[in-house]
Amino acid sequence: MKPACQTFLYRLSSILLSALFVTATAQSAAGYAFNQVIPDVRQPVSLSGGSACPVRAHQLSASSSIAVRWSTALSTSPVSIITQNQTTATRLTEIEQVISESLAVWTGVTGTTLNPATLAPLARVSSQNACGSDGLNSICFDQADMAFTPGVLAFTRVITSDALGEQIGSGPIATQLGQILDADVYFDPTDSQIAFATPAALPTSPQAYDLQSVLTHELGHFFGFSHSAVWSAMMYPYAPAPGTFTGPRPTLQQPDAPLADDDRTGLRILYPDPGDAVNVGTISGRILPANPLSLPLSPPNVTGIFGAHVVALDQASGAVIAATIGGWSCAAPGPAQFDGAYELDHLPINRSYTVYAEPLDGVVSPAQISPAIATLCRNSATDPGWPPLQACVVPSANISFTTRTR
Amino acid sequence: MSFAQRRKFLWICFLAGLLLLGITAAFTGATTFARLRFEDLAQQSSAVARLRCLSSEFRWERGELWTETRFEVLERNKGLLSGIITVRTIGGISGHLHSHVDGVPIFRQGEEVYLFLWERPGEPYRVLGWAQGTFRIVRNENSGTETVTQDSALAPIFDPRTHAFRHGGIRNLPVALFELKLRKALEQGN
Repeated sequence: MKPACQTFLYRLSSILLSALFVTATAQSAAGYAFNQVIPDVRQPVSLSGGSACPVRAHQLSASSSIAVRWSTALSTSPVSIITQNQTTATRLTEIEQVISESLAVWTGVTGTTLNPATLAPLARVSSQNACGSDGLNSICFDQADMAFTPGVLAFTRVITSDALGEQIGSGPIATQLGQILDADVYFDPTDSQIAFATPAALPTSPQAYDLQSVLTHELGHFFGFSHSAVWSAMMYPYAPAPGTFTGPRPTLQQPDAPLADDDRTGLRILYPDPGDAVNVGTISGRILPANPLSLPLSPPNVTGIFGAHVVALDQASGAVIAATIGGWSCAAPGPAQFDGAYELDHLPINRSYTVYAEPLDGVVSPAQISPAIATLCRNSATDPGWPPLQACVVPSANISFTTRTR
Repeated sequence: MSFAQRRKFLWICFLAGLLLLGITAAFTGATTFARLRFEDLAQQSSAVARLRCLSSEFRWERGELWTETRFEVLERNKGLLSGIITVRTIGGISGHLHSHVDGVPIFRQGEEVYLFLWERPGEPYRVLGWAQGTFRIVRNENSGTETVTQDSALAPIFDPRTHAFRHGGIRNLPVALFELKLRKALEQGN
């Protein structure tokens, strides 16, 4: 691969110029927008793996390993799910088809170990309160939850463990670090102003949100994604306006059609297929200020710019192929190093890319903006007894630089 | 650049701006979030206040893990609030289990925020619209000035059409201007 990595110029607040050095770094870890957890290294190595590097949350992706059920209890007052045919049986069939298609969006991406066979048959459950921390992955359309407020349409709660051997309810025992032990999707059934429509019903329900777009986004969380800052991505936190939908509809020929390349790249990072020979490119580098004195003194050992949003664009199509929040790397046994590193993995080869970068301007503390960087460090303040050699403190994001390309 | 070229360039900029506005307006819905305007937040909230985070604790209830954060009320902008309030958000940590929902605000001890609060009778306060109803206060240590930034406006959004980053929401607004904006929004709702 010969990516056309552009060199950026960074201007510090005092118009000092600094250069971004693009180098090959084998050890840098991508800070892509994933839900992640730091293993509890206070536990024996057999349970924690012994490394304080962040681990991405993910589902086990063996054959039939991912079980999903959905609650057939539906809100009738207000009607929160609008279908084309409102008889009970066909209503359920129509909703189930949307769920199946939305799952197939994520299992239809090439270059990943997620495929239709990794999903167990979709199950129905009649209980209204099917969602909860019980070790069973559930989708609920009529379960009022105390977390909902106006402005929150649906959410996915994901539970991971920072040590092996953990179990929730009757769910599987954690055999991999970062394994998702329970993921539930909640739709708000209580707001009379909000309704979701299946693709068949959407044309005649312009005030409703597209159920398929919302569910596909939520299933992205189910598979381990956080939100994306790329607005064409499925994982962008705001969905299309009522009456419209995200991307093209899935088809048999292209079940992953609603996804953007950014989503596909993320999925390949989460569930890499060892046999994939196409999406194996990497662009990595470090963002360094020309004047090292501009780096923060506290916390110690910050050697590069932290908190830059880095985006790789396909030069030919202009499509966003990948994005990451850069500025750190981690090699076992950890902890994370704030050395300005970024890494964009699993890029299609034989293409040229343009790389853009932007500070997370306005950040109070990166620990509050995204789980992608909130979970980079643990220490004795957050976790009593944490070993000092594997402790770190997440620095404030560097927001005092601007970028220009040349 | 000639006058004609400059005029043509300015027209292109103007039309591009209109296009961008149109695109922005189209994104009024949400997957996890329905986009709430500042005025919506002001009108739909039960209370608005400047708060200081005191502590957080996790608890299981109704099969879910919750974070309950205690705040000291520093300034009341809307609603009746006691001196100390508790705000509940979904997610948290219990033993080795980490329960997480994207878009839920997390608060640090000692930090100050403006929160748009929402409640149902008999239940703890929630943050209206989660990240959208959370406005963090940053104090510049050198100048002493305070600015306000909305959680949902923190990350730049990359627009593939224009190949540019852009920001939305309230970012780095001086506290005095934020309060003015808040007062106006609250008055409009009355």
